Amino acid sequence: MKIFLTDGTAAGFYTAVFDAYGHEGSMITSCDMQLGLDSEITEVTADENKAKRVTDKLCKIDGYATGDVDLALRSGDCTKEQTAFEYIKLIVRSGRPVRRMLSQPAVIEMNGLTGRVAGELHKMKGFLRFMETADGALYAPCSPDNDIIDLLAPHFKARLGAQPFVIHDVKRKKAVLCDGNEWFAADAGEAEVYLSEYELAFENLWRKYYASVNVDERPHEKQMRGYMPVRYWKFMPEKKGGA
Amino acid sequence: MLDAHTLQILTESAKYDVSCSSSGSERANRKGGLGNASAGGICHSFTPDGRCISLLKILMSNECLYDCEYCPNRRSSGTERARITPDEVCRLTINFYRRNYIEGLFLSSAVFDTPDRTMELLTETVVRLRKLYNFNGYVHLKGIPGADAEIMMKAARYADRMSYNIELPSEKSLKLLAPQKNRDALLTPMKRLQTAMTYDRENKVRTGRVLPAGQTTQMIVGASPESDGQILRLTEYLYRRVGLKRVYYSSYIPVTASPLLPARPAGLLREHRLYQADWLLRFYGFDADELCGEGEYLSEEHDPKCAWALKNMHLFPVEINSAPLETLLRVPGIGARSAYRITEARRYARLGFEDLAKMRIVLKRAKHFITCKGKFYGAEGTAVRAALMSDERCRRGGQDEQLSLFSTASDAVAALTGQL
Repeated sequence: MKIFLTDGTAAGFYTAVFDAYGHEGSMITSCDMQLGLDSEITEVTADENKAKRVTDKLCKIDGYATGDVDLALRSGDCTKEQTAFEYIKLIVRSGRPVRRMLSQPAVIEMNGLTGRVAGELHKMKGFLRFMETADGALYAPCSPDNDIIDLLAPHFKARLGAQPFVIHDVKRKKAVLCDGNEWFAADAGEAEVYLSEYELAFENLWRKYYASVNVDERPHEKQMRGYMPVRYWKFMPEKKGGA
Repeated sequence: MLDAHTLQILTESAKYDVSCSSSGSERANRKGGLGNASAGGICHSFTPDGRCISLLKILMSNECLYDCEYCPNRRSSGTERARITPDEVCRLTINFYRRNYIEGLFLSSAVFDTPDRTMELLTETVVRLRKLYNFNGYVHLKGIPGADAEIMMKAARYADRMSYNIELPSEKSLKLLAPQKNRDALLTPMKRLQTAMTYDRENKVRTGRVLPAGQTTQMIVGASPESDGQILRLTEYLYRRVGLKRVYYSSYIPVTASPLLPARPAGLLREHRLYQADWLLRFYGFDADELCGEGEYLSEEHDPKCAWALKNMHLFPVEINSAPLETLLRVPGIGARSAYRITEARRYARLGFEDLAKMRIVLKRAKHFITCKGKFYGAEGTAVRAALMSDERCRRGGQDEQLSLFSTASDAVAALTGQL
């Protein structure tokens, strides 16, 4: 089996699609993976020309397809490239948009994948927690499963108006920064944050609120964990320390 | 800054109000302002009781002149009292909102002065929040029954949603348990607000619309003797005639000891069934008459749609490849999302049983009521009832005390095999 190993970028992926197309049974991935005995690895270097030919072809058939692929490639899932590849093959084979062919396995997989990314995006709009720093900016560390902080930025820009803020994806060492006018993405390793003097007091008030608003007579922890999985807790003041 | 103890008192007094949603409004941020509303609503946290925190839900004060039997804040209860000022509410809201703890404010109050004065103070708070703090996030305001209509209309111009709690499902129970409130004082403002909202909609008012997210209400279930049938008829009236967005049910918990109230909680299963029926009224095209007779209760062992289907077996099975959407929505186990998936998918290919499974449509209950390409995969005749009942018991894991419907083991076996 031919395996095409990409660098994880969108251009790399589309180049791999270009190269892999026509090789029956070939796979695209950006993860290190366990190899079968008969597998043959080809490393793909991103090629703007090849990538453009693939995206042009896609756009001609379905104007929204590259948007679907963009969302899919943000996934933290190892099978994301292969899933998107199968989806693209189906689009080209059908010669029309396929996202509503809901009984096609390629579409089911793709919709599942993009659905999980979009789902986490929605969750993070609620679960993200800002801290006020000494200079009045807001700082929110997080480590989402999917690479979505630049999709979160417009949401918080609209909300916070002229308020400067930073959303820091600790896992991917990336951040989006907003100075109150414009936002942009940047690489960011460790951040040193000095909190404002009121920060701890408000965190404590919030913890108090969280404890008080619970109705003890109706315990349903399973549901709480279902809606708010434990992996999100470490950046939420009301849940820090696993309360 | 507000002290933690005051916050605790005013939160604990407000927590039995079940309304939590922050959806339905698309209020935009203004220049130099803070916040906007998200049409779909956003949950910001979840508490160990499984409920979401979306809004900062507090009372302005829990010092109440009224003496409603079921209420932990009633005048004669010995609970600790507190009050905060409009500005304290505003500052707490702003600071929680900036940190993305909350989606907005849910402000209610005990009637600590005349209804007019109480409503005035709530209104003053929301106006202050909008004008002085330039806050454009979600605000849900509780209406105080009996307050002047002018004040109420002013509040409605600044809030996203308002709610008057109907409290109890009948006038009679209201008289008995909440003697200072009456049905008219609750329904009249609701209708007046709805008229104003209709006016705005019909005249395409763009800015400063009255209550963009509409109205909701809440009633306690199990504190008074009304049947599910009565409750659902009232609910249907509130949705279809008054135009409410949501009716919330709160299963009765004895927080106060009173000879007029039952000593035992009403149980969560009854509340759950009412919510299921509520969804059927709003999204599945059912009428209250179809679900439950006037004096009857919803079935404990089957969900309301299942119970309806079992009574109407002559309408089933339906063919998945040709049944219209309205019919698919009436198949037990098929929800709005699955019905949509089926109608979309079958435009491109005829669907078999395996296709449905692959599309992650839950077939456990549905298989008894559908055919796929003419083939039937469920149980026949009376076996359907038994199969459905054992599924329901498996699903609930036998944990719910409400489900110990059959006192002895042999009864339960008889029920499963369909003898009972």
